[in-house]
Amino acid sequence: MSATVLHTEAGVSDEKQAAAKSAGRRFGALVVRLGAIAAFAAIMAYFVIFAPGFTSTFNLINVVEQSAILGVLAYGMTAVIIGGGSDVTEGGIDLSIAANMGLCAAVYATLLSMGYGDFLSVLAAIAVGMAVGALNALAVVGLGILPLLATLAVLNVAAGMELTLTQNTVVGASSPLLGVLVSGSFLGISALAWALIVFSAIMIVIVHGTSFGLRLYAVGGHPEAARAAGLSVPFYVSFTYVLSGFCAAVASILTVSRLSASTPGSGELLLSVLAAALLGTVFSRRFVPTMGGTLLSVLFIGLLANGFQLLNVSSYWVNGVQGALILLVVAITSFARGSEGSR
Amino acid sequence: MQTAKREIAVSMTGISKRFGPVRALEDANLEIARGSILGLVGQNGAGKSTIIKVLAGIIKPDSGSIVINGETASTLTPASVEKLGVHFIHQDRLLVPTATVGEAVFLGHEIGLGPFVSRRAMERKAADLLKRFFGMELPAGTLVKDLTTAQQKVVQITRALAQKASVLVLDEPTAALVKREVDSLFDVLRRLRDDGIAVVFISHYMQEIEKLCDRVTVMRNGTDVGTVDPRVTPIDEIISMMIARDVGEMFPKRAVELGAPVLEVSNLRLGGSFENIGFNVRAGEIVGLTGLLGSGAKEIVQCLFGLKTADGGQVRVEGRELSLSTPVKAVRDGIAMLPEDRRAHGVALGLSVRENISLASLRRYSRTGMVSRSSENQAVDGLIKELSIKTPHRDALVRELSGGNQQKVAIAKWLSCQSRVYVLDEPTVAVDVGAKVEIYNLLNRLAGEGAAILLLSSDLLELVGVCDRVLVVYRGRLAGSFSGPAMNSDALLAASSGARSNADGVAA
Repeated sequence: MSATVLHTEAGVSDEKQAAAKSAGRRFGALVVRLGAIAAFAAIMAYFVIFAPGFTSTFNLINVVEQSAILGVLAYGMTAVIIGGGSDVTEGGIDLSIAANMGLCAAVYATLLSMGYGDFLSVLAAIAVGMAVGALNALAVVGLGILPLLATLAVLNVAAGMELTLTQNTVVGASSPLLGVLVSGSFLGISALAWALIVFSAIMIVIVHGTSFGLRLYAVGGHPEAARAAGLSVPFYVSFTYVLSGFCAAVASILTVSRLSASTPGSGELLLSVLAAALLGTVFSRRFVPTMGGTLLSVLFIGLLANGFQLLNVSSYWVNGVQGALILLVVAITSFARGSEGSR
Repeated sequence: MQTAKREIAVSMTGISKRFGPVRALEDANLEIARGSILGLVGQNGAGKSTIIKVLAGIIKPDSGSIVINGETASTLTPASVEKLGVHFIHQDRLLVPTATVGEAVFLGHEIGLGPFVSRRAMERKAADLLKRFFGMELPAGTLVKDLTTAQQKVVQITRALAQKASVLVLDEPTAALVKREVDSLFDVLRRLRDDGIAVVFISHYMQEIEKLCDRVTVMRNGTDVGTVDPRVTPIDEIISMMIARDVGEMFPKRAVELGAPVLEVSNLRLGGSFENIGFNVRAGEIVGLTGLLGSGAKEIVQCLFGLKTADGGQVRVEGRELSLSTPVKAVRDGIAMLPEDRRAHGVALGLSVRENISLASLRRYSRTGMVSRSSENQAVDGLIKELSIKTPHRDALVRELSGGNQQKVAIAKWLSCQSRVYVLDEPTVAVDVGAKVEIYNLLNRLAGEGAAILLLSSDLLELVGVCDRVLVVYRGRLAGSFSGPAMNSDALLAASSGARSNADGVAA
């Protein structure tokens, strides 16, 4: 058949072209990354100059403490996005994470108020959180429902159960553990801040230091390739949803300690969680979500809310800014991905 | 047949597999010997990929036995096959785009301590392997998505080598490579063979099989029809084993009376690519266009498609001058085009066969603005039958068809438009022999109905077999126009490499 196909001498120029293209892409990614970091720096600089008390130690520690809950949740969300892939429509996402936290908080506070001890109550909260995560995993992996829809449905299940449990009231709670979390401190750093530091360290080591983390990225980045490498894609994806449920449970204990109660309305945190997890991708050379990037974005979002507060700007603005950030990040990353999909 | 004693690495016997009513494999056998390169050839649908998927543990056979390295493998899974030392280099580059080279090479077999990975060790070891086997050096931490196609292929092979593969199966590994890269890939495969590795090489390119393989197993209709030595058995014979019909029939001859010029090109020029290009194609004529990469032949076709805008010159279809600025205008002006990258431009993989075929001509099936489904179905079924597109039914997704059948869908799309001019860019690349013949028949039929056809191809045998006349482009100019007995692959090759020009004068 094609016995005399013309062979080309074009190999060299092909390679050069590809090299130029990839260099261009790397340059574009660098510009986006540096641009994002410069924008963050500019906003921070503005607050430092114009927001009274922004740089005080007290204020900064306050921000870290406030960020603890958001941070723990954002790690769960980040894990789900890593394992499910960061495709905006079909990739991994856990919309139920904030509502799950609300449910866990209600379980924890209710059990405490009924007289069960810290140990049992914490265990129950974690069990509930992971069960909700498992429900997400079942819907996404077992039934093959788009994560966006599956977790939206589970969001409503969790929110409904929380309301049933609390009758939409505030359930007060106090316990030795909560006491330590509220007022304990070590080396001058409060317990809540420690919670964020320790949790961050664990997540960063697991996701960026272990082969498990590496495989998680492979599963999300190219499921076919992961399968060809002998990895069980369903296992890893399911794991991320259960981990996300676990994060929700841990965050619920922190939120109960901060408010000394379980209060309705925790679902409002969802937007911030999503913004933090997505925003984190701009800190990565590969444009993928990373735990370190998520931590930076969590602190950035915390500082943003704090700066607005100090400037006497209505906190409602923060929501708008977060929404705009999500749009911006998603637009930038889909743009970056679109230009590389053409090969 | 060689008489030397050969050690068998993999032996598959009596493998059968059905998918519903379709018999994909019927008592098929495959024997892979250590220290040799086995070619596996057959048309699309002959069962090559099915038997490979059985070996890979992706498809469970209905019956048959598989022995790998002396062990009878009862139930194979992708993981257990790898453990037995059988590795697959898939046609798709199955690598995580956002991983570094080191991560990609060792994914699933990471280097480190306990659960912790050492990225530095993985990068270093991957770099060592790349250097040792391929003499390739990449900057540390290079991401897979920044590599060229050939480099990604090399990384995939390195992946298998890193895991001490004893059997290496490569599915169409050269499809996206240029000649120099193919040569170095072959060197690597020969070295691996000499190290005692069993290599299976699946390819549509017969000259690669002839150059590389020690033995060739030919598959047809789900079974193996024979294993031969390609250095002894001529290629023609192997091809006729594949298609069970004489190769002479591959290029069906026809006698068509040529009509008036339909496509007239004069003085076409594009800075840096070509200049002073003039030719015409008459009704019923098939004109070939060829040239080395970079000669400008491809750019000429792209100008006709409206993908590139010429700097000057005229293009006329049936006397009307066209302004070819965008593909949309080219289509409206009656030029049907089949771009080279059918996946990107030719067909919509996610749509059904019916939708793809009627997409370009929906207006013909709609009177009141609504599509008349029954007349659409009728027309589509007619085309499916006429082109013998192998599809379960008209609503099957194009994604599920083989490459050759996807190409036929792309052609059917234009047939339903009833264009006067067809411009085809490498329509038979990566298409199996049987489908090629069907595409040639189709071109003949179109020409017979009075269409003017311009065929850009780098397959010289194809040009000689199919065209009435072949134009050769060399360094941006028409270097020759060949027809009749002067039109042979030697002359075409000489003209396109600038060694000789003009057989019967450039038709301007």
